[in-house]
Amino acid sequence: MDEDNQKTNEKVDRKVIETEISMGPVHPAALEPYRVRLFVEDEIIKDAEITVGVNHRGVERIMEGLPVEKANSLTEKICGICSNSHIWNSCMVAEKALNIEVPERAQYIRIIMEELERMHSHMLYLAHGCEVLGHETLSMRMFYIRETVMELLRMIGGNRVQYGAPIIGGVRPRCELDEMRIQKLKEGMDTVEEKMTEFADRFVSDPMIMSRITGIGTLSQKDAIKLGTSGPTLRATGVEKDLRRDMTVYDPFEFDVITQDDGDVKSNLLVRVFEILESVKIIRQAVAGLPEGKITNRSWEMQDAPITKSYIEVPRGTLYHSYALQDGRVRHSVIRTPSITNIGAMQYACIGQHVTDAQLSIVQCDPCFTCTDRAVKIIRLDK
Amino acid sequence: MSLKSYSRARAVHVMLVYTGGCNGCDIEIVNCILSPKYDAEQYKVFLTWNPREADVLVVTGPVTRRNEEPLRKMYEAIPEPKVVVAAGACALMGGVYKNIHGDIPSEEIMGPVENIIPVDAKVPGCAVRPEDILSGVVAALPKLLNAK
Amino acid sequence: MTVINSVIAVIGTFLVAFFIALWLPGLERKFVQARIQQRVGPPVSSPGFMAPIKFFFKETIKPESPMPRLYNALPIISILSVAFILLFMMPQMYTFAAFAGLIAVVGLLKIEEVIYMFMGSLSKSVLSLKMPFPDIVKGAKHPDAPRSFLEELSTKRAFRMIAFGSFPLYIALFVPVVMAKSLYLSDIVAYQQVHGPVLFTLAGVLGAVVFFVGYMVLLNEYPFSILKAKADVIEGPLLEYASKSRAYVYISRGFLMVVLASLFSTLFLGIPPNIFDWHSIVTLIVVLVFPVIMAAVSAFSPIFTYRQFYPVVLGSSILGVLAIVATFI
Repeated sequence: MDEDNQKTNEKVDRKVIETEISMGPVHPAALEPYRVRLFVEDEIIKDAEITVGVNHRGVERIMEGLPVEKANSLTEKICGICSNSHIWNSCMVAEKALNIEVPERAQYIRIIMEELERMHSHMLYLAHGCEVLGHETLSMRMFYIRETVMELLRMIGGNRVQYGAPIIGGVRPRCELDEMRIQKLKEGMDTVEEKMTEFADRFVSDPMIMSRITGIGTLSQKDAIKLGTSGPTLRATGVEKDLRRDMTVYDPFEFDVITQDDGDVKSNLLVRVFEILESVKIIRQAVAGLPEGKITNRSWEMQDAPITKSYIEVPRGTLYHSYALQDGRVRHSVIRTPSITNIGAMQYACIGQHVTDAQLSIVQCDPCFTCTDRAVKIIRLDK
Repeated sequence: MSLKSYSRARAVHVMLVYTGGCNGCDIEIVNCILSPKYDAEQYKVFLTWNPREADVLVVTGPVTRRNEEPLRKMYEAIPEPKVVVAAGACALMGGVYKNIHGDIPSEEIMGPVENIIPVDAKVPGCAVRPEDILSGVVAALPKLLNAK
Repeated sequence: MTVINSVIAVIGTFLVAFFIALWLPGLERKFVQARIQQRVGPPVSSPGFMAPIKFFFKETIKPESPMPRLYNALPIISILSVAFILLFMMPQMYTFAAFAGLIAVVGLLKIEEVIYMFMGSLSKSVLSLKMPFPDIVKGAKHPDAPRSFLEELSTKRAFRMIAFGSFPLYIALFVPVVMAKSLYLSDIVAYQQVHGPVLFTLAGVLGAVVFFVGYMVLLNEYPFSILKAKADVIEGPLLEYASKSRAYVYISRGFLMVVLASLFSTLFLGIPPNIFDWHSIVTLIVVLVFPVIMAAVSAFSPIFTYRQFYPVVLGSSILGVLAIVATFI
């Protein structure tokens, strides 16, 4: 056993469990159904177990044998928060498998949608975080700021949540950006930047909030890498790893990879705050340099393809989609969402915290269990 | 209007139960209650997380296998009179998860909500809009007000 | 004649206090918190007045509890103990000197706190352990660990609150006692009529601040609401109250707000609650101002865990001790 694993085992001392407290699937601090079992001694958590599977709908299984266009729109329904990421990645798999060239303008619009989604997802994270902290006012303030982004998404995509912008070979015609929309995007970005800066200033200058979130749910850099976390949760521990740097579609844009050092709730919140501001930067660049041309490439033909993989960076980390194509239908679909690796980090971050901070430690990793739920088979012990 | 109906109309406590949808409806409902833009409290609708306090149960999602029992328990825990509002396409008819029909249909969906508990008002949409949620709760109110 | 007058005054004061108590939650929610949160907010009558009436008309159900009747009786006991505090504060009752003293007040407030422990240990809600979910399965962590309800956690917290949480309030209560050199409310009021209100001395100002912290702790209002923190124990001890009992819970909280504020005006301003005395308008102002400040503080603060709670309680207790020391200057 190497040094790291020994350290983990020291932290999880299994002999001092006084009692077990279980929360969920219906619980105010959880935005989605999941089960948390906390093993506590004197209100301090000694071990934690997060059970997913409550949300399991078998999406990959339903995808099996669907026409690829239909399967793409089903992937969108995996998650209501990062719906665009799923459908984008799913389209990218098909494009990679069939060698479809996507017009430049379509790529830009896709990136605008993705960054808008990142913004609203991070804002939801902040709002939910404030709600779990017990700070209703700031949570409402955040929802108010988020409304700007939701209106932009509604304007471009036609729906507030499932906007379904990408299709194979481009984006849907209704997502075309005309002058009026571009103008509104620019105004929206100004509003968001101004209000987010104010919010962040207010947030970090509040001593009560800072004392609640500093040093809570700490995850060291070593542990974060060992547990395989990705996305902002990893970046909050100081690892400069953003898949957007490796994606060719992001090459024309300049942005910083945000990192923080501590890996606690404060770092996680700040990483998200700054990433929203980075997204504002990317959208501004995309809107300024929006190329002319058509937005959909419809000259492609369906053919069989072996299993093709695609990784992208989504608001919560690295998203993986893969499937094979046979007679225009999807086969062997596999989806791996960022939260599945972050669950380990959530359990780990809970340990050693007070029970009231447990949900905060879970929320800091931005859980999205609707994305994550995969096949779960339960074998009862008592019967 | 009697004092009974009047008081019921002036304080409506809403409880949310998520039964495994895609999160979209859930967030829109939370948005409708917590966002100052919609602010459900101005329509005398209060959010609660305790079934003993609730009058209206808002259910989202297609009711997955693991959620069936909790949903039924939540419904039973609410004292009469109570109404159920099913919100979103999944809660109304199972949504894409039940009806899209791949080669291997999913066995995980026990819904729609009607199969498990009686539903009084239905709010369509994928995802539901916050305005629609409020009007759905309002549409279910007469049953609450006229109950014994 | 005086007896009848006294009886009318006592009953009248009760009714007025009761009526005001019903409006306070709405006042907090609509005019303070909703304004801070930049939204319209509920009607003033909804949270405090109409909600209890609505709960009275709901179906009476048996709570999930080992002793349902005792559990349902606890809010009534709580209302009664608060009502007795109000009763002993009225000048008409000062003839019953043994009760009209601070010892009785402290004792009755202690009942208020202990009741949370009873509630917590008697409530077995469906939201915690009774939730139908297969936890003990193959591969689960620690299948042998003893399992407990969320409310039991609340009970532990209520115990800690009794142990240290209410320190500030009790220390603050004794500032006027030290000044008047008497435990009896009649003496304290008489002292202030001669020497001016306690509040306008250094000790009184310090004591008032400490009293306010204690007021918020006793009411479990937002920064100090670890007993019923939404992030883990949801509503804690109150989880199983439905219909009529829930109405009593609503009423008892508003009533406690009124009574604690009028206790403040009795001890620190020398004006006991009495509807036949026009000075009682000051009591009314205190009763209205306290919830407003409390709502403003709670709208701007997150829930405190013990890490923040201990220093706040310790700090205000030290301030309280300083206030008592300052009385000798």
